[in-house]
Amino acid sequence: MKFSYRWIEEMVEGLAVRAPELERLITMKTAECEGVTPVGEHFASARVARVLTVEALPKGKNKRVTIDAGDGAVHTVVCGAPNVRPELLAVWLPPGTIIDGRELGVAQFGGVASEGMLASGAELGLSDDRSGLLELAGLQPGDGLPKLRADWVIEIDNKSLTHRPDLWGHYGMAREVAAIAGGKLVDPVDMTLLPRGASPIKVQVEDETLCPRYSALVYGNVVVDPSPLWLKFRLESVGLNPISNVVDITNFVLAELPQPMHAFDADKLVGDTIFVRLAKAGEHIDALNGETYELTPADLVIADGAGPIAVAGVIGGAESAISKSTKRIVLESANFHAATVRLTSARHKIRTDASMRFEKSLDAANTARGLARAIALMKDICPAAALVGGVADAGRVPAGVPPIAISLNTIHRKLGKAVGEGRVADIFTALGFGVEKPKTGEFLVHVPSWRATKDISLKDDLVEEIGRIVGYGEITPAPPLVASVPPPSNPIRSYLRGLRLQLAAQGFTEVYNYSFVNEKTAARFGLAAADHIAVKSPIAAEHTHLRRSLLPGLFQNIIDNTRNFRDFRLFEVGKEIHPRAESELPDEVTHLAAVLYASAGDERDFYEQKRVVECAFPAASLQPVEAHPWEHPARTTEILWRGAAIGRLFELHPSLLLEEGLEGRAVLFDVDVDRAVSLAAEGKRYVPPRKYPTSGFDVSVVTKLRQPVAEVETALVRLAGEALVSIEFVRQYAGPPLPDGQKSVSYHLEVGSLDHTLASDEAAAIRGRVIEGMQELGYELRV
Amino acid sequence: MQESQSKVDSPAAEAANERGTSPDFVLENLRRATLMRLASVTSLEELEELRVEALGRKGPIAQIGKEFGKLTPEQKAALGKLLNSVKQELERAFREKKSRLEKEELAERLRREWIDVTLPARGVRPGSLHPVTQLQWEIEDLFTSLGFAVLDGPEVETEEYNFDALNIPPSHPARDMQDTFWLSDGHLLRTHTSPVQVRGMRRLGPPFRMIAPGRVFRNEEVDASHEHTFYQLEGMMVDRNVSVANLIYFMKTLLSEIFHRDVTVRLRPGFFPFVEPGFELDIQCLICGGSGCPVCKHSGWVELLPCGLVHPNVLRLSNIDPDEWSGFAFGLGLTRLVMMRYGIDDIRQLQGGDLRFLNQF
Repeated sequence: MKFSYRWIEEMVEGLAVRAPELERLITMKTAECEGVTPVGEHFASARVARVLTVEALPKGKNKRVTIDAGDGAVHTVVCGAPNVRPELLAVWLPPGTIIDGRELGVAQFGGVASEGMLASGAELGLSDDRSGLLELAGLQPGDGLPKLRADWVIEIDNKSLTHRPDLWGHYGMAREVAAIAGGKLVDPVDMTLLPRGASPIKVQVEDETLCPRYSALVYGNVVVDPSPLWLKFRLESVGLNPISNVVDITNFVLAELPQPMHAFDADKLVGDTIFVRLAKAGEHIDALNGETYELTPADLVIADGAGPIAVAGVIGGAESAISKSTKRIVLESANFHAATVRLTSARHKIRTDASMRFEKSLDAANTARGLARAIALMKDICPAAALVGGVADAGRVPAGVPPIAISLNTIHRKLGKAVGEGRVADIFTALGFGVEKPKTGEFLVHVPSWRATKDISLKDDLVEEIGRIVGYGEITPAPPLVASVPPPSNPIRSYLRGLRLQLAAQGFTEVYNYSFVNEKTAARFGLAAADHIAVKSPIAAEHTHLRRSLLPGLFQNIIDNTRNFRDFRLFEVGKEIHPRAESELPDEVTHLAAVLYASAGDERDFYEQKRVVECAFPAASLQPVEAHPWEHPARTTEILWRGAAIGRLFELHPSLLLEEGLEGRAVLFDVDVDRAVSLAAEGKRYVPPRKYPTSGFDVSVVTKLRQPVAEVETALVRLAGEALVSIEFVRQYAGPPLPDGQKSVSYHLEVGSLDHTLASDEAAAIRGRVIEGMQELGYELRV
Repeated sequence: MQESQSKVDSPAAEAANERGTSPDFVLENLRRATLMRLASVTSLEELEELRVEALGRKGPIAQIGKEFGKLTPEQKAALGKLLNSVKQELERAFREKKSRLEKEELAERLRREWIDVTLPARGVRPGSLHPVTQLQWEIEDLFTSLGFAVLDGPEVETEEYNFDALNIPPSHPARDMQDTFWLSDGHLLRTHTSPVQVRGMRRLGPPFRMIAPGRVFRNEEVDASHEHTFYQLEGMMVDRNVSVANLIYFMKTLLSEIFHRDVTVRLRPGFFPFVEPGFELDIQCLICGGSGCPVCKHSGWVELLPCGLVHPNVLRLSNIDPDEWSGFAFGLGLTRLVMMRYGIDDIRQLQGGDLRFLNQF
């Protein structure tokens, strides 16, 4: 939203603060400013000039033009405008003029010295017309441009104004400025201008919630002309395009009070009644922007006897638009339901200066004020026009909020700073609040209509008014006086910290992947799109569903990083999102998944990743399981930890990598951290070190090449019985003299007793028991 | 070594040559010959051989000792004295030689064991944690030390928690399609970490202090400065008489810790439906110190975090009586802070999984 400093200044008597300082004050106390830009600096030296001669230059479109600028001399300028011609009255910017921050001089064009320039409407900031020179009338060479002076545009972030409908116009901002910078607020509206008597038109509002108030006036004898330069400049400065005197007046009131208005060509309307109603199914409207909109029964429209003539609060219809030939007009000044306007605006993707304001909940008291302000402007700018009858005014200003009681103590407590009673009262008054003082230290505050539509209803809202005007910089930071208590713990976060640090120490780098997958990436890991929660309006084709697995993301990480690295390790901690029954939130399960990739890998990578798993989950047991299609059929295990399956360790099926042209190996593990953390809490118990020495022996068992050694170990453990202290895998061997398809597996066993040193025959007996037992199980032993 | 052995006879042989002559002579001979040979010994093995020959149980000294019984007491005394002195001298000489040889051997071993210490070490190097994780931990630790609980909430949220309970009415623009990822099951991806405030209020009950770091989502196009997935850290404190002055205190403490220096902050009005009054907190630009530079867009200030006193409606919606309790809340853009800290100019890097980027942290 752009604000003209001059416009504000006109409504704040005695304003002593210049634009840059005002910008800072507004930022600190009201809303965020995004910059202040000088505009119209060139008006100080701009002069009216009459074109004397025009002579084409040999090359290009440029012409050598001589002008009379009323100073007795003939000046030469080079000009390329198509409309330059003798006798034309144009605006001359002489050398020395500051325009857009640079100074004009005498420039050479094709050997001709050009003294300054002749300017277009766009160059002067009076319109967006760049097609030729601005043409003047009724002025003399040497005249300055009437009522035009340099100004500053203060731009304010719209987002910081969402809760302040009153600040979508200069008058509201002027009130703030008077309160924060000092000065007396001057109301530009003269309500006595409103005509009395019956209006020639009737207004029928179907639903007063959707349209609390609709006020209108009828004018005859209207002459539609361009606006005077000062009005064009003012509108152009704040980003509104000048169109014609009538339309510009409605836009002026929009930008001032703020009250959006609309002018209909009265002769184009059917019947004498204006209907404010919801659109009927199938109705459509040709709008001012040249588009046709199919209306829905949720859109509020303004209609005449024949159908919609405007989309309420959003855009007017083309058919009843003001044109050169318009003679009679209906001026609409209404108030519409904010959410309805917003939804219509969003539904049809039309955002206008009017809709932007209406969706903030405007003050219904402004409809009549808008008309009064328009009357004053019509007298000045369209003097021939004559009012017809009185104001048609349907609806009313909705009841405001009840007065709010607030104490000085509340303000002190909330701000952490004492503010004097007189100061508080002054601030409320300056902002337009009514203040009653039932007793010392207490206020009863009446909220003005322009702050009551949604902004202020609680005492906390009033605390903010005091706080911001006093200035938050006045508050001294202070620690609170509260009990010092240790916070509740977060076991999963603590646990994950340990895991993350451990993995990083083992060479894994943490990645963050998106929570999204798509049909293709999920399918690779056996997940059907239908089993996922879908995004309703996905922005990107690769982000259509919520991930049920971290694997698709990690797989992409593998592909991407092989471009730059031969070998790498990475991991992610993230949430799997599993749909649950309708209306229930999905099950979000925290997972840890890690990849070890080696471009020239072998089975050692599997064992390395297995080691990582065993470090992270000490004493985990990895059991061979049937592989999923994305897992290597012979290199897939389930991770059992403390009696529960917590995840899987597997080599990625080579086909997935081969499809991507990758020859390497990827070993992954994927663990359900929520489950692991529930097991991790298990308490530990001290076992005293053994008092008596143990004795050890080795056994070598010959078995089938593909028999898992874990089975051999299990048998050994069982046979050694209670005396077993530890068992350790020593080596395995295949090859001569063993027959093909056989291997020898060696274990070292330590045996002992808690209450004595084993005698040599005791140890030998255990060894004998183990050997015999293994033989009974059909193993051959190499002793 | 071969040569020296052929030149010099063994002590035993020499002593035998002199058999018949006096033991005094034999001993003196042994002493001289042994010391001479000792001088040319170059290894510990040789030394041990020589020692056994000269001083061993079968050596000449032992032999002489055996014949001791035949002597008179006077002879015994004289010979015993001589025997001991020769024995002691030789033993000392052997000890010294042994120690010298050991030193030499160690020195030789050390010379032999030269390695190129500049060769690269084997094994994996540590990986690294995501920069957001690292910054998040710093802030978690700070707030934990100040008595704040660290809470988690789901990434998929209900409309109630994400909007209603935060005083964001159904007509609020934040609910429009363009900002929120709506889901096929009727829920949404949380647009901020603020729903965890609601969960915290309901779970902990007043008084409490909590923070909630996490992943949030906005339905927008991704480019160098916009992401649909980013990270926030929400904070909230509810107690009796919590004031704006307390809020500023915590924010100043937080930011001084994050930036490892004293920071100047300013509060200005900001509008957020879940706080009243609401603020934008700016810090004085750390690059230019407030004099104006491109980073702060020449304003001297950088907008950092929205905050405010918890809106009474928000408290009430979570069954906390706003007349008894008050609180503050703030939302820190973790992603933004990380980008500021490391000068990261492309937000997409953070979700990109590119190890060339991630390994730098």
